[in-house]
Amino acid sequence: MDALALIAGNALPWCLGAAFLLALPRRAIADNAGEVAWTAGAGYLLGAFLLTVWMRVLSLVGVKFGVLPIVAPLVVLTAVLAWLAWRRAPGAPAMTMRAAWHALLRSPGLEGAARVAWWSALAWLAIRFTLLAVEVATRPLYPWDAWTQWATKARVWYELGGIAPFARVAAWLAANGGVYFDASPEYPPTMPLLQVYQSLLLGRWDDALMNGSWWQTAIALALVLYGGLRSLRASALAALAGAFLVSSLPLANTHVALAGYADLPLAATYVAAALALLRWIAARDVRDAVGALVLAAALTQIKNPGWFWAATLVPGLVVAVWPHRGARIVLAGFALAAIALVALARFQLRLFNYDLRLTYAPAWGDLAESYFLLGNWHLLWYGALGVACLAWRRLFEPGLAPLTTIVGAGLMFLFVVFGFTTASYYITDQTTVNRATLHLAPLVVVFLILAWQSFAEDWNARHAQPAAA
Amino acid sequence: MGLAIYALVSVPGTWFPGASTQFVGARAFTVSRGSAVADGDALAITATDATGLALIAANVDVRTLDYPIVAWQGSGFPANADVRFLWRTDYAPNKLNSLPVPIVAGRLAPLTMAGNPEWIGRVRGVALAVRGPLGEPARIAGVTLAPGGVTGQLRDVLGEWSAFEPWSGTSINTITGGAEVQALPLPTVLVVAGAIALAAWFVLAWRRREVAGLPAAIGVVFLAAWIVLDTQWAANLVRQVVATRVQYGGKDWRASHLAAEDAPLFAFIEKARAKLPPGPARVFVVADAAYFRGRAAYHLYPHNVLFDPFADTLPQPSWLKPGDYVLVWHRRGVQYSASEHKLRLGDGEPIAAEAVLVEPGAALLKVL
Repeated sequence: MDALALIAGNALPWCLGAAFLLALPRRAIADNAGEVAWTAGAGYLLGAFLLTVWMRVLSLVGVKFGVLPIVAPLVVLTAVLAWLAWRRAPGAPAMTMRAAWHALLRSPGLEGAARVAWWSALAWLAIRFTLLAVEVATRPLYPWDAWTQWATKARVWYELGGIAPFARVAAWLAANGGVYFDASPEYPPTMPLLQVYQSLLLGRWDDALMNGSWWQTAIALALVLYGGLRSLRASALAALAGAFLVSSLPLANTHVALAGYADLPLAATYVAAALALLRWIAARDVRDAVGALVLAAALTQIKNPGWFWAATLVPGLVVAVWPHRGARIVLAGFALAAIALVALARFQLRLFNYDLRLTYAPAWGDLAESYFLLGNWHLLWYGALGVACLAWRRLFEPGLAPLTTIVGAGLMFLFVVFGFTTASYYITDQTTVNRATLHLAPLVVVFLILAWQSFAEDWNARHAQPAAA
Repeated sequence: MGLAIYALVSVPGTWFPGASTQFVGARAFTVSRGSAVADGDALAITATDATGLALIAANVDVRTLDYPIVAWQGSGFPANADVRFLWRTDYAPNKLNSLPVPIVAGRLAPLTMAGNPEWIGRVRGVALAVRGPLGEPARIAGVTLAPGGVTGQLRDVLGEWSAFEPWSGTSINTITGGAEVQALPLPTVLVVAGAIALAAWFVLAWRRREVAGLPAAIGVVFLAAWIVLDTQWAANLVRQVVATRVQYGGKDWRASHLAAEDAPLFAFIEKARAKLPPGPARVFVVADAAYFRGRAAYHLYPHNVLFDPFADTLPQPSWLKPGDYVLVWHRRGVQYSASEHKLRLGDGEPIAAEAVLVEPGAALLKVL
């Protein structure tokens, strides 16, 4: 019964998000390679966010949380959006689904060793997601912040049937029971609301089963990587390699198994926003533009650093819109940001609980250990560095420049956080450093695949055997 | 070949020793200072004592000459903590010897004792002293006394790569990929091996003028190395899922928490909840350890809980109002007089209160 309720209830964000994307105007019929995977993956991330937005609306107008008030209007909305999508391109969704199914069964035209690799990777992923499903459904809430600052809100909101405010000690004391307290009262409500939704579907508080959203986010992340890479001209095998790499990152797996932190959902939403932007740059479709904007908005509502991650998308947009002057504008922007950083640091500014300071003391040794020697990232950073060296000639050509710029902005953000704020301390004891890096890691996988493909095209053009006379 | 060279070059002591590795597990240790709780097969140091010291000790009886390597399996140590390995020998039984233990990425690095003048005779007792602020609990699985040697060194490296890395409080932040501290990390070995393989391929391809396949060769070597690492990680995940099923499989939400690391606290909170009013009450939670303050608060929601997530502080008496509750879990400095119905928090003024639930080391008190 639990399983039925959870499966039925969790179909809603998938369908809602997919219908939302498909209802938006689009130039081409949605039968491009990877389109089904993209629509499903990005659709889930959008649908889950829209679901929490609706729950916030309900709470704002004083309607008590329940399955009916949440689900019924959203089912109607999904039906309306699906009808709009049908009207926009009658028969296209079914045709696209059929094409995707046939492509999957025929391992997109692959033969021999490539076909074996395709099916092996899919089997490997299926085993991985099964293991993670068992773990996430069995273990009660485990990691530290999950029970000091995230699920705290979920428990209160579930039991009260609405969103109650959380505040710091002084406000808590002054409110005389009117507000609640936890370790981070200012954190945004998206992830706790998804836990509330799962609890409502179950009809009881269960701090293992309520974490199903993390597992679904991991599935969505794999789909987004495959679909996004395919739509950016990666081959089927390269796109599947991207999905495999991101789904086998040990730290990403850990954040599914030990669910409860917002870092994996932030990472998945960030890479989906960036890929939607890159898709828009490539095809200029309204659907991708709206998708990128809504996903960027979702970033700010998942975790506070999401504001900065959303901002790192802007340089990529600038480089794409003004290909000739974009690089100079971005460099000027980075310079202005550096000056602002120096100026703000003089005022001992505190941003999201981190003290901004001028003391430059990054712990490079510990950072290198974390990226290259420990088991967090397998070979991700070796691969990213290697590919950046191999493909350096093409990194700032129009095809790759927006992606390179976004990844560069993301790395600069991490550099500032760990070089100029109190967060540098957390490199030495390996706490926040990997979690913050996780936000960027899936996009680094995208960079790795596309830059490698670019290098391969360049190399093959220069070293291909001349055709026989 | 590379591994064998590494083993020959790096071995401390003799190349072929006769002794076998000794492991002293966490269960053999007693907590002399500070507080600690069992965390699976490990010991989680949750707090230091009033002087800022935590100390765990165990009896052993080994010949120092046979064991030139001492490796503590510990994680979750802040970089600024002062961690020391202490030992006594039969050579100078009244002398307590001490050596700092380096902290690498929150974990304790192995110590090479060969050449240490105090590592002499037979070791009768080993201990670990931790001084410094402990945010999250530091976890100690035990200590390994290793004889070194070429085969031992190789076995150690392979053992480090294949060691089970169960979930711990630090897993959400970092994954080591095997043993907590590794002399030769597997990713590095694979990158070096991959680079050599690619270089060899390129030389051969260059001679045949068939270098067009370089991108594919790079991709294949990279993915092969990745799969080796992921096989190790997948095997670890399988072992973890089995362990999780053994611990929680088939249990409902309550039974799962009664099988969890903080089961005694959860059981007490369940009793306390039964004594609290049905609507949300204001509850002040105090405990020595940050872990227990946070866990107690988590189990108490949706009651309106106040706790200090970061420091071991007590609420000021002026904060407490009639009808509020104070939940105490293993916290020194809290006194209650049942005859006078008075509660004193640290050095503060006594407050009128009544005990609602009292158990050894724990109490729920209602402010009058």
